[in-house]
Amino acid sequence: MKSPLHEVHEKLGATFTTFSGYEMPLKYTSIQDEHINVRRKVGIFDVSHMGNIFVRGKDAEKFISKVTATDASSVAVGMGAYTVILREDGTIIDDEVFLHLEDEYMFIPNAGRNKDIEAWFREHAENMDVEIKDVSNKFVIIAVQGPLSEECLKSVVDFDLGTLKLFACKELKKGDEKVIVSRTGYTGEKGYEFYITPTDEGKKMFYDILEAGKEYGIKPIGLGARDTLRLEKCFALAGNEFSGGRTPLEAGLGWLINWDHEFIGKEALLKQKETEYEKLSFLECIERGIPRHGHAVEKDGKKVGMVTSGTFSPCLKKGIAMAYIKPGYEGEKEFDIVSGNKKIKAKRVKPPFVKKGEC
Amino acid sequence: MTEVRDNLLYTESHEWVLKKDGVVRIGITDYAQEHLTDVVYVELPNVGDKFSKGDEIATVESVKSVSEIYAPVSGEVVEVNGKLDDEPELINNSPYDDGWLAEIRMDDESELEKLLTPSDYEKKLD
Repeated sequence: MKSPLHEVHEKLGATFTTFSGYEMPLKYTSIQDEHINVRRKVGIFDVSHMGNIFVRGKDAEKFISKVTATDASSVAVGMGAYTVILREDGTIIDDEVFLHLEDEYMFIPNAGRNKDIEAWFREHAENMDVEIKDVSNKFVIIAVQGPLSEECLKSVVDFDLGTLKLFACKELKKGDEKVIVSRTGYTGEKGYEFYITPTDEGKKMFYDILEAGKEYGIKPIGLGARDTLRLEKCFALAGNEFSGGRTPLEAGLGWLINWDHEFIGKEALLKQKETEYEKLSFLECIERGIPRHGHAVEKDGKKVGMVTSGTFSPCLKKGIAMAYIKPGYEGEKEFDIVSGNKKIKAKRVKPPFVKKGEC
Repeated sequence: MTEVRDNLLYTESHEWVLKKDGVVRIGITDYAQEHLTDVVYVELPNVGDKFSKGDEIATVESVKSVSEIYAPVSGEVVEVNGKLDDEPELINNSPYDDGWLAEIRMDDESELEKLLTPSDYEKKLD
């Protein structure tokens, strides 16, 4: 599948990659230049490969509280939340942001997951007054991220974006032609995401932002930099960090669970809390080398974990990795990351790898 | 746009070969560097190392992935591009010139006949 903005990317000279079945820009110039541009100035991303599922009806709040780890009554109109959708056994089906709009909720599932999520939602909506609608292919999603994001959007958006708190959202246009904005992102920088239908309007907006952002040094950013940006901030990528069935406790997402309500998977998580389990850990290389997905983590020659995501950090100029490490090694500071006969020494660090304003 | 140079020969695995007197200079193509993305580490062979055609001769590691580079011809390494240690980005910025990898004294010049011509390589990229 292709993004509705595919032609735009071709004109901008993108190199493409396939991600979750979508042909998306990998980069336009260089991953590191694009990365640094977002950290220091601003960048624009096409993330139309992400989905859009609307949930509405009298029981919408009750329904969302059941199918996510979030108590939806705590999310007011005009706010959003980052949450997880769990199976009965507590493992993550998908992590996503949902927004509480005036008359409905919008979920933004990961690329290629919209059909599965829609089916899961329908299956668990029995006897509830909710309408669930997957409209993923009708929307363009644009992320504008970086310290200058608010300034560069001033002339494009007729609304004071400075009033939006983290995770807040606003419907700028309602009806058949929708423009929704949220103060969210996947880079760890200040930023906004726009959800636009019809897609032609989204295309126009992409160009408008690119034009208005010129004086702020805006650049289009591909999925390559999107990955390095999220990794430096220790944000999970569903296909990597949750694959094989991981619970939010293992993935370090325990903080987003509201324990005071009933939700699918809660029982299993309460049980897991009483046990010892593998935890997602953050490793920074102290030797030259780049950890990759699938590399082993060893302590004194014994395998104690596995890398789920790894890259070269453009800000730190060294290898960084996220890895699940077995219980019993919490106190250990140094590990080897091993691939074939290659070993890279790495130390455990507290997330994120790159702190605010550090780059 | 991806550049394919007329004065070079190519391999299926995206290496290029420049014929000089008795030796060949090798590197990776513009297409290869585009898809590798930003090169950050390069491991080169040592001068004097001998390789058969198809052996792993170098490793190029980028932000996104790691790639083995295969010897396009058999022979002995007579020179390597030491500049790449400090400036691995030369491979991205100048894949056919400043970003060359090594020079090999060939065992058998007829191996060149088996490499792809510029037009064959261009067809492969389409």
